[in-house]
Amino acid sequence: MNIICISRGSFGGGKLLAESLAKKLACDCLSREELTEAATRSGIPVGRLETAVSRNRPFNEQMAVEKDCFKAFVTAALCERVAKNSVVYHGRTGHLVLSGIQSILRIRVIMDEESRIALTMQRLGLGREKARRYNHEVDEDRHRWARTLYNVDWADSTHYDLVLNLSRVTAENAAAALVGMAQLPEFQSTPATLRTLDELHRAARYRLALGQDVRTASANVKVQAKMNMVSVTYLPRDRSLAELFPQILHNLGETGTIVCTMASISLLWIQERFQAQDDSTTEVLEIADRWNAAVEVVQLNDESSSEIAVPSTLPATDRTVPAPRVPAHVDGGILDDDGATARPLDPGLRATLDRLIAQDHAGGYTILNCDIKGLMRELDRTTPYGMVIVGEVFSTRGSAVKKRLSNELIGYLVDNLRIPVIEAKELKTKYLFGPTHWFKMLGFAAGSLLLVFLVLGHQEPILRFTIAEGTSHRLLVAAGLFCFAPLFAYLYGNFTQYLLRLFRFE
Amino acid sequence: MIKYLIAETFIQLDWMVMVQVILLGFVGGVLSGFIGSGGAFFMTPGMMNLGIPGPIAVASNITHKFGKAMVGAKKHGEMGHVDKKLALFMLFTAALGINAAVWIIGKVFTGSAGESRSDHADLYISLVFVVVLSMVSLSMLRDILHSRSRGDAQPSKKIIDFLAKLRLYPMIYFPVADVTVSLWVILICGLFTGYLAGTIGVGGFVGVPAMIYVFGVPAQVAAGTELYLAMFMGAYGALNYGYQGMVDLRLVVLLFLGSLLGVHLGAYGTKVVREIIIRLVTCIIILFCVLSRIIAIPIYLRRLGIIELDAAIDPPLSLASKGLLYASGIIGAILILYFVFKAFYQRRRMHASITTKAVTRT
Repeated sequence: MNIICISRGSFGGGKLLAESLAKKLACDCLSREELTEAATRSGIPVGRLETAVSRNRPFNEQMAVEKDCFKAFVTAALCERVAKNSVVYHGRTGHLVLSGIQSILRIRVIMDEESRIALTMQRLGLGREKARRYNHEVDEDRHRWARTLYNVDWADSTHYDLVLNLSRVTAENAAAALVGMAQLPEFQSTPATLRTLDELHRAARYRLALGQDVRTASANVKVQAKMNMVSVTYLPRDRSLAELFPQILHNLGETGTIVCTMASISLLWIQERFQAQDDSTTEVLEIADRWNAAVEVVQLNDESSSEIAVPSTLPATDRTVPAPRVPAHVDGGILDDDGATARPLDPGLRATLDRLIAQDHAGGYTILNCDIKGLMRELDRTTPYGMVIVGEVFSTRGSAVKKRLSNELIGYLVDNLRIPVIEAKELKTKYLFGPTHWFKMLGFAAGSLLLVFLVLGHQEPILRFTIAEGTSHRLLVAAGLFCFAPLFAYLYGNFTQYLLRLFRFE
Repeated sequence: MIKYLIAETFIQLDWMVMVQVILLGFVGGVLSGFIGSGGAFFMTPGMMNLGIPGPIAVASNITHKFGKAMVGAKKHGEMGHVDKKLALFMLFTAALGINAAVWIIGKVFTGSAGESRSDHADLYISLVFVVVLSMVSLSMLRDILHSRSRGDAQPSKKIIDFLAKLRLYPMIYFPVADVTVSLWVILICGLFTGYLAGTIGVGGFVGVPAMIYVFGVPAQVAAGTELYLAMFMGAYGALNYGYQGMVDLRLVVLLFLGSLLGVHLGAYGTKVVREIIIRLVTCIIILFCVLSRIIAIPIYLRRLGIIELDAAIDPPLSLASKGLLYASGIIGAILILYFVFKAFYQRRRMHASITTKAVTRT
């Protein structure tokens, strides 16, 4: 089974290429337009979503739910087609819809600007300038669409296995060349691919069902399916619907464990080794408790390490059974043909997950055997994480290398996710309240008080100083104010922040 | 002579005045933390009602805003809510705007013989305040009513759509806010924001809506970027007013004491209250402030001899103006604090129930 996703621009020749390739490989050809039409017929207002994105309007709560339903619809439809036969999909972001499936052949089709303008002029009957502007606007819309729905840069070539410039090659010839590539082992399905596909399909189907059921249509939920467990994360405002989620999923035939977690935000916790009772787990749980957060755990195994943890399943009685992903860039695609075999889960991780579930903070988990760039490829960028916590990673490396790689990882996460990233060891210092914080709070209070007494205790000299004549004197006054205001704001601002943190106003 | 100058320029601070300034700062801080900008619209007239001359109130407020913005911008920056490129584009024109405002106030405040003309300045500041904030609040109210009728909590995008059609080149892309805006639109908005910041100390209250309604910037990024911009504008305003000897350091400290506590509580409120409620509360508070200033305007007009009124009317008008202002700010702050504490205790109760009943699962 082949899955080939062609990402195309307007009048870039992608459609022709897809049709030609599908014919040569004797597989189905599916276009984005077919899927959006089907989604619209099923009641999802795709046009409204596209208008909002093209006009750069932020989604309101209802549209955010509709966006999730649309993504679920597309995912489910693609999964269904792929399960039946090999598929060549051409659209904008097919490779992102089926994220986590490593055997997809991802192709980006481009064409030089002049050729595109000529095609646009010919097909739409536009003048040169209008055609140029038309292409530019369509590209911008697509760029924004990918950014809004999948939080990725659509034009970034690192998201593709191949970028094809159809300015000099005909679609027919390019398709002929691609036939060979599509038959490479890296792009063939494995049992792991099928399993991931099944999980994606189940999660999408359930999300869509929750969106289409009138009782839960307005609920903002995140659904994740892993082996025989389905996790549903919902917002506190939807807590009255919590009992309905498992009912609806059971009606769809789900026989596995359904874990429902209420959370205002999601935290992403990346670490190499987990221990349920160690300080960092306790601190993460305390933070999750304070912020009403679901914690998504990522076990990041250093790919160069000799002790790569093997993803596995748990006995059916265990609630924390996940279906970890195994990146193909480690396993070489076809080597991972043992996706259904159960192997023991790392006991530390298992105990940590149990503790998270027991305290209603479980947000799912993933095991990755890869480097930093691999992690960035694997992370679900559409989840609006409130914060990323990076624990100890690359522990088998020397201390200097470990520190450098950790910093590099944090840098990557900050650049790509654009959310706060914090080291686990800093959690206590930054977000929890201990003796050090008492000391700091009192220090800031003392500094603030000192300045208050200095100013209010010497009012007349200060005012005299303020209005005294002379250019140099006036400059001195201005400079003094320039230094005083931020200094006092810093001291007193920190004091109030610690004070409110003490009372859990965060 | 110096003592005379001090007595004429700065007010005598007793415990009651100090407590009132701290309360003004607290209420302003709660409002500013909740709304994402402003707060000065309450603090500046509030201080004027305490007998502090308008320019001193504006100068002290902008100096206080400098420190507050620096702390706030740092926090927003850590969360990725600051578009530095956008802020820097607006900065240049905003600085020009502040300079123009300081120059105009200096001219109005000081007569040809160098004598103080605080009534002129008060009238000027009050008029600008009334005109600008009436427009802002009425537009917001209209938008809220429209939002409710179309069942959409998002701010109106009519201006953005109109400007997008015009495409006044050069267009500039701002990566953090993810918007493309005409350079000319940015410059005009920056100039206007700076001018208002220098005149009535409420630049942010115009800057944030401008970024949301005109540029199409997401609300959180608008608030963060405005704070970053306000840091520079506040610094520039503080230096300018400080050089002219108009900043009362005592008031700056007292404002800080109230506002920094209030800001944190107000900011917490934004996470637990629906957006449309936030905008509605904001709008009502500003309208009350505007009404309060309108009531005070006859006093300045009478003092300047523009209208004939009995001087005996001053105290009741002043009292009514003061009462309305305090009522608006205090009712607004109480409403916000009510939502904040309600959400806070609700969350604690919810957690307590979850941990005792165990997890919902089958």
